[in-house]
Amino acid sequence: MSAIDIEKQAPATRQIVVDTLREQVSIWLFVFKTMLAFFLTGWIAMRLSLPAPSTAMLTTIIVANRQSGMVLAKSFYRAIGTLGGAVVAFLIVAAFPQQRDLFLVALSLWLGICSGGATLYRNFKSYAFVLGGYTAAIIALPVIDNPPGVFDSATARISEVLLGLLVSGVINDTVFPSRMRDVLRRTAREQFAHFVGFVRASTGGTIARSTMERAHLRFVRDAVTLEDLRSSVIFEDAEARARSGHLQEFNQRFMAASTSFQSLHHLINRLKRAHRDTTGEALIALYAPLGAALDAPIEAGAAARVLLPRLIGARDEMAAKAPLLREGMTDTQDVRDFDTGAALLRRFTDELYAYVDTAATLQAPRIIAGSAERVRFARGNDYAGAILATFRTTITMLALGVFWILSAWPMGSSAMLLATIFAGLFAAAPNPTRVTGQVMFGYLIGMIIGFVCEFAVLTQVDGYPLMVASIAPFLMIGLVMMTSATLGSIGLGYSMGFAYILAIKNPMVYDPVHFINDAIAQVVGLSAAAIAFVFVPTVIGSRWLRQRQLARLRGQVALAAEAPLPGLRHRFESINHDLVSQVVSQTEPGSADSRALLAWALAVHETGRALIELRHDLDRGTAPGGVRGYIDTALASLARFYEAPDAAKYLLARDAVATAIAAVSEKDASHGLLEHLHLIRMALLDGESVLAAYMPSAPLAQEISNAP
Amino acid sequence: MPREIAIGDALVPGLFVLFVVSLALLWLLDWAAGRFGIYRLVWHPPLFRLALFVCVFGALALTLF
Repeated sequence: MSAIDIEKQAPATRQIVVDTLREQVSIWLFVFKTMLAFFLTGWIAMRLSLPAPSTAMLTTIIVANRQSGMVLAKSFYRAIGTLGGAVVAFLIVAAFPQQRDLFLVALSLWLGICSGGATLYRNFKSYAFVLGGYTAAIIALPVIDNPPGVFDSATARISEVLLGLLVSGVINDTVFPSRMRDVLRRTAREQFAHFVGFVRASTGGTIARSTMERAHLRFVRDAVTLEDLRSSVIFEDAEARARSGHLQEFNQRFMAASTSFQSLHHLINRLKRAHRDTTGEALIALYAPLGAALDAPIEAGAAARVLLPRLIGARDEMAAKAPLLREGMTDTQDVRDFDTGAALLRRFTDELYAYVDTAATLQAPRIIAGSAERVRFARGNDYAGAILATFRTTITMLALGVFWILSAWPMGSSAMLLATIFAGLFAAAPNPTRVTGQVMFGYLIGMIIGFVCEFAVLTQVDGYPLMVASIAPFLMIGLVMMTSATLGSIGLGYSMGFAYILAIKNPMVYDPVHFINDAIAQVVGLSAAAIAFVFVPTVIGSRWLRQRQLARLRGQVALAAEAPLPGLRHRFESINHDLVSQVVSQTEPGSADSRALLAWALAVHETGRALIELRHDLDRGTAPGGVRGYIDTALASLARFYEAPDAAKYLLARDAVATAIAAVSEKDASHGLLEHLHLIRMALLDGESVLAAYMPSAPLAQEISNAP
Repeated sequence: MPREIAIGDALVPGLFVLFVVSLALLWLLDWAAGRFGIYRLVWHPPLFRLALFVCVFGALALTLF
């Protein structure tokens, strides 16, 4: 008995030990790599006799990250930001060499613009903005008394920052790199397997709305994660870069197919709810071959290609089956619903085929010549948050500048510099007040430890290797803290404060008075940034921003109804996904906000896609005379309703769509249009959707399906 | 090629110009290697890339001295 117990437990215990060791190895590898980059940068900077090796060394700390691809991506954008900031510093100094007031105003404005820009991006592009501001400040501030020195200052700072970036990039890329490429590959494969599995599992019929919402959430997250990973991995892996176009196409087709799939299921759900089982069952029967076609093992690597012929077979089977099923129906209403569903199903099958096709291309070992269609993942940015961040940073800098001028404080520039770094670095953080507080705490400890290290240890040693040996243990503490989830911000503050206050240069200068003055100035700068975050709170995660994002999401229907058609389908899908994922990441799962958002997202998604398809068909075929006017009115009234929903506009939109349907069915020439309009009408009348709040009274079940 | 080049009246070391040129060259080679799957034949692609860069930069710098 006990022997069995031990046998059972032994692998588990070993697994725990192995996992722990693996985690520890990864942590210490990070510490080792960062320190290697840190000291190598310092050594090279001293060999090249750059004036401030500490700037270069600090740079390696700021870009330190456990993922190699991240370091390269960060470094790339940082390099762009550094060069841009240097140019601006140059212009500002050249424009106001003798006007300190105007100089400070111009600099504050630039720093504000940079931190505003940083909030617009959720990936490493925001670093370009942070560094644009930071570089401008470190170049321009030290030469405020000596404007002709700006060129030398600029070349020295650029050399130092770029050296730090180069060394940490090379170290992270070559020394035991941890690759995000594998994560990307796994994510793409999981997305594919999950979606195909979900489609296969739901051929049985109805899906509850809550399951649908969860699935939608998952689809959104998958799409956005893949795009975020892709934009980082292309920096670390040449092959991923070569396949980048295909990956974007893969993601786009995923979004298109998942939207059509959801529309289809909403339709079946509605029919079932209205007890129009004949049509519902017929659609499910029509759908069955698709489930059978997908029923193949997809986990194995190169299996996507296997699905392609099966999907073609399923499409033919469905085309043959549709007339048979249609014959069995007598009611014209049933026939019309069935036609709508069949058209939707056809659309979905085509999109699924395209999706699987791209997946097969991606899995192929060789890249097929001829790059994929150029598509861009459009983002839904909110400019109000950016303007607020600009305002906050500008005000902080102006206040510090005024204090500096009035008090004639010799260390004023040091304070301003620190405020710049932190105002920019944390402008995009969801809870900057807490993060800045933690970083400040770490920074203080780092400076105290720095004092001990500099005056108790460094004064005793001689030569670079001994200096490394005496700094390394102190630095290690901060780097280890950086890898932990809870102490990460404190660790970052500690490492930065420690590296910055040591101000290592060759030959080293030991000046306790200057050290303490500098430390006080840096604390003042940091506190100014922290206070600014309290007084001008960030909008990220606030109710106001969520309302705006929700309004923007609804406005997507107007985009679908009115924006120029070329590329619209993808633009609509990607902005939708980006917006939803932003709001989802800022709301608690299951809260009222989150549920309202999801309900709206489903409605917007379905109606928007149907509108786009309708407009495509309208453009392609020659619509019979007179019909176009009715459809345009319907599009416009729908757009107005979604932009600012209320009961009156709802009625207008409903009637406009009904009129358009009547007009189109009179002409009886353009079947495609009728089905799209019918779908829009049904989505509008869905009593379970978020639109129910605007309906004059809950519609009867009969009314839903009997809509003209 | 001169050891120092004046760009807009600022003296820039020739080595630096060559450094940028070899970065651009490496980017091209990297693109080609990724496109045709050459990195599959290499044990450690980043190390290979670094070595290739040193070779390219060294070869170009030899023209200076």
